[in-house]
Amino acid sequence: MSEVLLEPRDEYRYRIPRNAAIGMRTDVLVYSSQALIKQIQKDQSLVQAMNVATLPGIVGPSLAMPDIHQGYGFPIGGVAANDIEEGVVSPGGVGFDINCGVRLVRSTLTKAGVQSRLKQLIDQIFRDVPCGTGTEGRIKLKRDEIDKVLVKGARWMIENGYGEPADAELAEAAGALKGALPNKVSERAKERGTPQIGTLGSGNHFLEVQYVDRVHDSQAAQAMGIEKDQVVILIHSGSRGLGHQVCTDYVALMNQVMAKYGIELPDRQLACAPIQSLEGQSYLGAMAAAANFAWANRQGILHFLRDAFRRVFSSDVRLGLIYDVCHNIAKREQHVVDGQRREVLVHRKGATRAFPAGNPEIPEAYRHVGQPVFVPGSMGTASWVLVGQPRAMQESFGSVCHGAGRLLSRTAARKGKNIQEERRKLEENGILVRSESRDGILEELPEAYKDVDEVIEVVHNAGLAKKVARLRPMGVIKG
Amino acid sequence: MDESPPVFELLDHPADIGFRARGATLEELFANCAHALISIILDPASATATEQWRMEAEGSDLESLLVNWLNEVLYYVDTKRLVFASLAIEFPELLRVRCTARGERRDPAKHPVRLSVKAVTYHQLVISKEQDRWMAEVYVDV
Repeated sequence: MSEVLLEPRDEYRYRIPRNAAIGMRTDVLVYSSQALIKQIQKDQSLVQAMNVATLPGIVGPSLAMPDIHQGYGFPIGGVAANDIEEGVVSPGGVGFDINCGVRLVRSTLTKAGVQSRLKQLIDQIFRDVPCGTGTEGRIKLKRDEIDKVLVKGARWMIENGYGEPADAELAEAAGALKGALPNKVSERAKERGTPQIGTLGSGNHFLEVQYVDRVHDSQAAQAMGIEKDQVVILIHSGSRGLGHQVCTDYVALMNQVMAKYGIELPDRQLACAPIQSLEGQSYLGAMAAAANFAWANRQGILHFLRDAFRRVFSSDVRLGLIYDVCHNIAKREQHVVDGQRREVLVHRKGATRAFPAGNPEIPEAYRHVGQPVFVPGSMGTASWVLVGQPRAMQESFGSVCHGAGRLLSRTAARKGKNIQEERRKLEENGILVRSESRDGILEELPEAYKDVDEVIEVVHNAGLAKKVARLRPMGVIKG
Repeated sequence: MDESPPVFELLDHPADIGFRARGATLEELFANCAHALISIILDPASATATEQWRMEAEGSDLESLLVNWLNEVLYYVDTKRLVFASLAIEFPELLRVRCTARGERRDPAKHPVRLSVKAVTYHQLVISKEQDRWMAEVYVDV
């Protein structure tokens, strides 16, 4: 990539000053380590973070998390807060997969209890939880039901038999953003997404059966009901075709209206409109609807997962939702900036909210330990449970990383790799993989990603979030 | 070299995937871009022309016309689960594209899905004309 002036601030922080490029309105603050920064500099992600710094009404720095990698317009692993009155909203700052996110589920089983029936379990989940790439999902929504899903999110699913009452509160925004406007979601988006509800999708989406490998914070782990060797399940999926189409529709719209608002940007994919404009408000209403669809989608997946566990083990096995976080979203929040409390729209593109203990947005069960954060690693490595820390609130608009961060392109990842060989290697490490497509496995191999443990070290030591537990996979279902 | 370059080839991207397509005319370029996009999503082998669909897009400039066109194709392929045998493209106006697509509804066994494409983007989008040949580079989000 082109040379970017990076000033080390401390062991885990780097700054790109606002005078580094014409048009930057603020600094870029990068969370990284010496090892990771070299990888980050290999692609265009820091240039993209600098482009984000040119957005009108940006408040505080343009932020780059240690898992940052090159995206479209916005980098993946970027956070930007925009003033609610003067600022803009950018659909690209949320991404094509609106409310792509992660939910973590605890089981009443241990690693040893699952091991003997692991193959049977993974096969059953693969049958019961559709990937939805080649075929439609199992939930058939009626035409008049989709708008209700778009407003009520996960709660609609629970009320209609796809969940347990306790699931409702255990998600960011309790599984439904306020202000959803189903009439701002195009018919095309509804048509594209409706048959896919309750399906995983392809790309980097997956479902993993994991066990708790290490506990780092026993108080927080206890609050979440997890302990060493317990089996948990991590679900990573988003708003499917509905969210993709909402983003597509609004990128096209905002490209048309930017000139009207006198906005010029270095990258067309950053297309945006003032938050308070008709287009801005329409997008935010459609985005909230798509976000709610994503929560409903992950709720549907949990429902089928419970079925699969009951079929393989017994009806006594309980799967309890721990929490659900989104990592592609724009949220209206209050933050203190330069000593002043301000209302901002926080774009989290490949970044997770990480509010510290005491915040009223956190469900009561976790309020004393901090908001649970789930960071999936690459296939076959590790995932992490964290809790938000006060410094996230002070520095990063209550945000932290979202994954390991891609290192190799899909083609590079596939190169010279043989599916049988890779599957065998994973199985030797005790990890069973089922995938609808061959490429789904080869493109998501661990070598294609940064080391998730290193990413977690950075956010933990920078004080943005605290390690609670490390999870290791036993079985993976992929699209 | 006299050998003509392929009508499209795939390009690398750190997170996603793109393609470079060529055409002697703008019609050919738009058709080859669509074929490239479809080949990322599925194996388009031997589609039969049993039904036909009309697709249409417009733009405020050539770049947005191409992106909007490809997102139109994506919508049809993804939502209606189609595979195309032929695409007949015309430009009734300068910044409007219309296409009569002949093909069939997809049989998952015959046309397995390779990769779901979320959207076609403006990222590093290039459209150029050199020595009477059109070329476009497009990246998609997968």
